Amino acid sequence: MGGLAYAKPGLRICIILSSVTQRQRGFLREEIMAKRGILFFSCTLLAGLLFLCACADKSNVVRVAVAVPLTGDMGTEGQGVRRAVELAVELANESHRFSYPIEARAFDDRADPKEAVSVANIIVSDPKTIAVIGHYNSGCSIPASQVYNRANLAMVSPASTNPKLTQQQLESGWSGPRNIFRVVPTDDVQGSFAADFVAKKLKLRRVAIIHDKTPYGQGLAEQFRDRFLSDGGSVLSFDGIVIGDRDFKALLTRLNSIKPDGIYFGGLYMEAGLLLRQAKELGLRAPFFSGDGSKTDELIKVAGPAAEGSYFSITGIPVEYLATAKPFLEKYNQKYPGVSVKPFDHFGYEATNIVLDALAKVGSDRGKIIEELRKTRYSGVLGVTEFDEKGDTKNKIVTMTQVRNGEFSIVTN
Amino acid sequence: MFSQQLVNGLVLGSIYSLIALGYTLVYGILMMINFAHSEVFMVGAFLGLGACALFGHVGGGWVSVVGVFVLAMAGGGLLGVLIERLAYRPLRHAMRLIPLISAIGVSIMLSNSVFLWISNQSLPFPQIIAGHPIALGNFELNSLQLLIFTISIVLMIGLSLFIKHSKVGKAMRACADDIATAGLMGINANKIIAITFLIGGALAAAAGVLNGVYYGTIKYNIGFLVGVKAFTAAVLGGIGNIAGAVLGGFVLGIIEVMAAGYLPDGNQWKDVVAFVVLIGVLLLRPSGLLGEKIAEKV
Amino acid sequence: MKKLLKKFSPQNILKGLLLGALLLLPLLIQNGPYAYYIRSLGLIGLYALLALGLNFTLGYAGLFDLGYIAFYAIGAYTAALASIHGWGFLPAAFCAVVLAVAVRFLEGIPILRLRGDYLAIVTMGFGEITRLVLNNLDSLTNGPKGLPRVGENIYPARLLGFTLTTNTHYYYLILILVLLAVVISYRLEHSRLGRAWVAIREDELAAELSGIPVAKMKLLAFVISGGFAAIGGCVFAFWERFVTPESFVFWESVLIVAMIVAGGMGSIGGVLLGALILGGIPQILQVVLVGSRWIDYRYFFFGLILVLTVMFRPQGLLPSQRRKTEMLGE
Repeated sequence: MGGLAYAKPGLRICIILSSVTQRQRGFLREEIMAKRGILFFSCTLLAGLLFLCACADKSNVVRVAVAVPLTGDMGTEGQGVRRAVELAVELANESHRFSYPIEARAFDDRADPKEAVSVANIIVSDPKTIAVIGHYNSGCSIPASQVYNRANLAMVSPASTNPKLTQQQLESGWSGPRNIFRVVPTDDVQGSFAADFVAKKLKLRRVAIIHDKTPYGQGLAEQFRDRFLSDGGSVLSFDGIVIGDRDFKALLTRLNSIKPDGIYFGGLYMEAGLLLRQAKELGLRAPFFSGDGSKTDELIKVAGPAAEGSYFSITGIPVEYLATAKPFLEKYNQKYPGVSVKPFDHFGYEATNIVLDALAKVGSDRGKIIEELRKTRYSGVLGVTEFDEKGDTKNKIVTMTQVRNGEFSIVTN
Repeated sequence: MFSQQLVNGLVLGSIYSLIALGYTLVYGILMMINFAHSEVFMVGAFLGLGACALFGHVGGGWVSVVGVFVLAMAGGGLLGVLIERLAYRPLRHAMRLIPLISAIGVSIMLSNSVFLWISNQSLPFPQIIAGHPIALGNFELNSLQLLIFTISIVLMIGLSLFIKHSKVGKAMRACADDIATAGLMGINANKIIAITFLIGGALAAAAGVLNGVYYGTIKYNIGFLVGVKAFTAAVLGGIGNIAGAVLGGFVLGIIEVMAAGYLPDGNQWKDVVAFVVLIGVLLLRPSGLLGEKIAEKV
Repeated sequence: MKKLLKKFSPQNILKGLLLGALLLLPLLIQNGPYAYYIRSLGLIGLYALLALGLNFTLGYAGLFDLGYIAFYAIGAYTAALASIHGWGFLPAAFCAVVLAVAVRFLEGIPILRLRGDYLAIVTMGFGEITRLVLNNLDSLTNGPKGLPRVGENIYPARLLGFTLTTNTHYYYLILILVLLAVVISYRLEHSRLGRAWVAIREDELAAELSGIPVAKMKLLAFVISGGFAAIGGCVFAFWERFVTPESFVFWESVLIVAMIVAGGMGSIGGVLLGALILGGIPQILQVVLVGSRWIDYRYFFFGLILVLTVMFRPQGLLPSQRRKTEMLGE
């Protein structure tokens, strides 16, 4: 039985060879040639790749990896963080702060958790990489963080807000150092702040809540809802939208019919802008509130005049107002003219500088950098950044801004 | 609220219908799902943006609006023809699903091309057609919505008339019936196929411009989601059937909007509702709403 | 003697060498700078498992299924939930397979009488419905935040007393599963079942008239493929230890279809090659283009390669015997 199975291919070839015409024999030869061609090609490719990788890296360069979505739906945001990180590295090199060159290496995780872990594996295998700035989505950061942990590599996230990312370090299954940090606060602060603002300062009672079904947006919205309810307000509805969807008229028409005093949106600038625009078109005039994922010039581009009067909470003090942030904005606009800063870019910039700061103090040993990062007290575009025992930033200042005359202004108490 | 939601659904449906027409036309003749069609829609929007920049220097008014559409539609049609010629025609003799893979590849290349070489940001689309509210009873209709609906209907009627009464239209119908026999009757199948892709691409580009004007911004990834919905609409109405594509588009748009507007937590579940309705319809009418039951000859 | 010589045919020697290489590779590279290749190969292996599963439906029976990834998702989520509640790997896998098979059965019954591309759209619909349900039912699945929740854990798989934790462990598990899948596919392909499927694919009406219980055969193909996907999903959940709906988008279903079609419909070798190339190219490009500006072009190249592949080998990279004979007749 087994022998027959092996005999079949040979038998088949014999039968075919003996019964096909000359022309068809040519095709068969072509088939065999094609198979050999594929084999040869793949072998050369493999050999070539191994050779490429084997070219030993003899320079004394030190690398900071940045792992974000560079292509795909979140490509716009990821490219923004990458630009900020590359800017920070470039400035460090220009200032000759280090006796060796620093290189920023970008990796594309496509907002796909599988890719994120693959990318993490590649990053940790490079001995010259001392830290990774990333990832962007919590869904990518969390699985990747385990890889970084096993490799003793510091991870500083500029945009992942899911509490689990840092919380998991306190759980029993966690071995090794606590190497995960984030410069972006988790949502519990912003959401509550906004709720207090809406309930106590503006004294609005009935609010409709929308979120974008991501850990960031939904987290923010849930925080807002919980605090708003405990402040005595009432939540008329709690709806999720889908990122990538552009037509929210159905939802907004329904909200229009229940006439809320205000609308809170947990999500990013694209959807926020579209919501604002469409709300205006439908005559829905309730004031609009959202968080730092929406506070960017892109929002004003997308929403146009509909953005006027809407409120956005941000962590820290607005970049435009912070004296230490001015060089960042100037250099950013210089290096990337015409490109607006995305909501998490300055977090990426800050994260990189914090890492470089640690590098300057203790050198390029991965373990030492992790320890030094824990002691961070850095003053920069985010204000003052320090990390608590979980690696979360202690910077919990929230500022409320409002769009006036097409620009964001701070709302003073 | 109901009338407002109805309007929302009809406008959304118009855009779906315009794109669905492209899918159905190609499928009718080639029995192939043109996966790259949604990206022609996206490119059409960007072409429209470019055209706006061009005409912005010339002057406003109806001339420039028509100019933008003409330019974008010409570009979209050309792109459709090009894709057919380069990526599908060499594979026409191959197994049915092979051109689909090529289409997938083209689709990836198109959206990435725009991402890489035009812009990876979202770009604002000029409001070449200004909208102002028209009060009708107890709800506000926006003139822009009315215009989009009208333009779509005009294009669809134009297409219908073209297919029914022109010589090329007759040839297209013949090819859709039986392409081999049509060839025997003296019809140049390659030319007809090219014209089909031209029309489909032009309509998709028009939808792209309308989409840009209506939502105010465009981005390299707006094609995919709308493409999936539009193809669903085409199948819902009966793939290969022009009236079916139109009907399917409107039905889908209205279902989505009604689900989002009336169900609790509706906005999250509207896609589920849309697909459930689709599956239900196909179970009862396996060829779609207006699809013909093709008897299988033994 | 002749039989022995035939055993050592060039084809079989090649297969043997390949197998040997696959078995030894992780041991050679796992402690070096190329260790990440193990993970890449593991992921490709999972794709291969999925592709082999879908091959029953699409390759053999010719049913155009665009919603296959949903069953991978069902497998992964079931396994995740099971593990969070303390179940081990084998009970979790059993549960996952049972659930996936049941859902596949329910999906199959009403829709298998649909023609060609209608089937595609409906299966796509099922796939999307599954993903959306997983994304929206926060109480069960934690929605977009994914499982496990804060404070919960998916425990590494324990198989026969051995705990699987590293990439290498899962690589071998996946390799074994893929080999099993290949054997099962081969056996079924050369059985009455396999021939019935091919008959249905080539001409359904003729098959029915020849006495083949078409509906039952189609359902069987459907159900078997569901089981394969579930096992893959289970392994994925235990390996990654984190599942979110983002991993199970429509695009993945399309990718697996592409692997089968570009590789060679119904041909085991072709499907494996398709999985290797389409699954491997994005990973290779990531490594090769790392650090350079070209990394943004990764998926553009992928699309280009896809088009070129079918353009130059429209019969598939390693077409099945039947396809070869068909093309020979041109």
